[in-house]
Amino acid sequence: MNEKSAWGDYILYALGTVAIVILVRDINVIARLPNEAQQGAIFKIIFFHVPVAFVAMTAAAVALIASVLFLITRNFRYDALAVAVTEVGLAFLAANLVTGSIWGHVIWGQWWAWDARLTSALVCWILYAAYLMLRRAVEEPTQRATFAAVWSIFSFIDVPIVIFSIKWWRTQHPQPVFWGGGSFPHDWLVIWLWNILAMMLLGAVMTVVRVRQEDAQRELDSLRRTVHAM
Amino acid sequence: MHLQYIPMLFAQMTTPDDIAREAARLQRNYEWLSVGLWIAWVILVIYVLFMVSRGRKLKREIASLKVMLEDRQK
Repeated sequence: MNEKSAWGDYILYALGTVAIVILVRDINVIARLPNEAQQGAIFKIIFFHVPVAFVAMTAAAVALIASVLFLITRNFRYDALAVAVTEVGLAFLAANLVTGSIWGHVIWGQWWAWDARLTSALVCWILYAAYLMLRRAVEEPTQRATFAAVWSIFSFIDVPIVIFSIKWWRTQHPQPVFWGGGSFPHDWLVIWLWNILAMMLLGAVMTVVRVRQEDAQRELDSLRRTVHAM
Repeated sequence: MHLQYIPMLFAQMTTPDDIAREAARLQRNYEWLSVGLWIAWVILVIYVLFMVSRGRKLKREIASLKVMLEDRQK
């Protein structure tokens, strides 16, 4: 390992640690906050449910940009970024769907509602899962990256639908706290923003680790070709 | 959104049954909040473990192929 790579690792681990420390501190602070008057303690799940959604939607946007850049430049670094960020985004979106379902179970009395927000979020998860499955199905690297980039761009069509569905249609899912005319007390807002920052940081660290694995995978493929050619 | 402290909520209750119901509801809310956060964290931790295992496997395979290449070049 060269010195630059070692420093990169230290910075990466440091950022990951900072994210975990912020999240642990926030969990402690959130536990001591008063309960929301109508929903009670379960409302505090918003401190996790929304930040993971932010990460997932940001990941989808980054995947879109990386996919477009791959199609323009044919540089495999963009393909690596697209697959890395999609995989990480999928994990965060899964966390968002699960926390949302539990929240719904407590407040609505049902685990799931086929309304526009929930359905479009589930479709979003399925589309990006299909992206990863598509990559496994195509052997040739350039063809795989091209098909995947096109699929990623197509999948992104669902992202604005997920975001704006609560504005466009009447949904079981409520309006967002801020965007729907509501507000947080200042101390809640500060913790919530810290949680978003920590989740974003965590997502970024996971993406960089995953990009490095894609680089290692390319090195492995190249070594395999060399061994077979000998 | 309106925030109130639990004692204020209890203060508005009229009968012991109301208070018992509200206490049960709060307890259930706490339990589900814990379940939700645990499951969400478990999903992320499983993904990180999956990533770590894949990273180790890649390193192992690269090292063994490099050894194989060196052997063939001798």
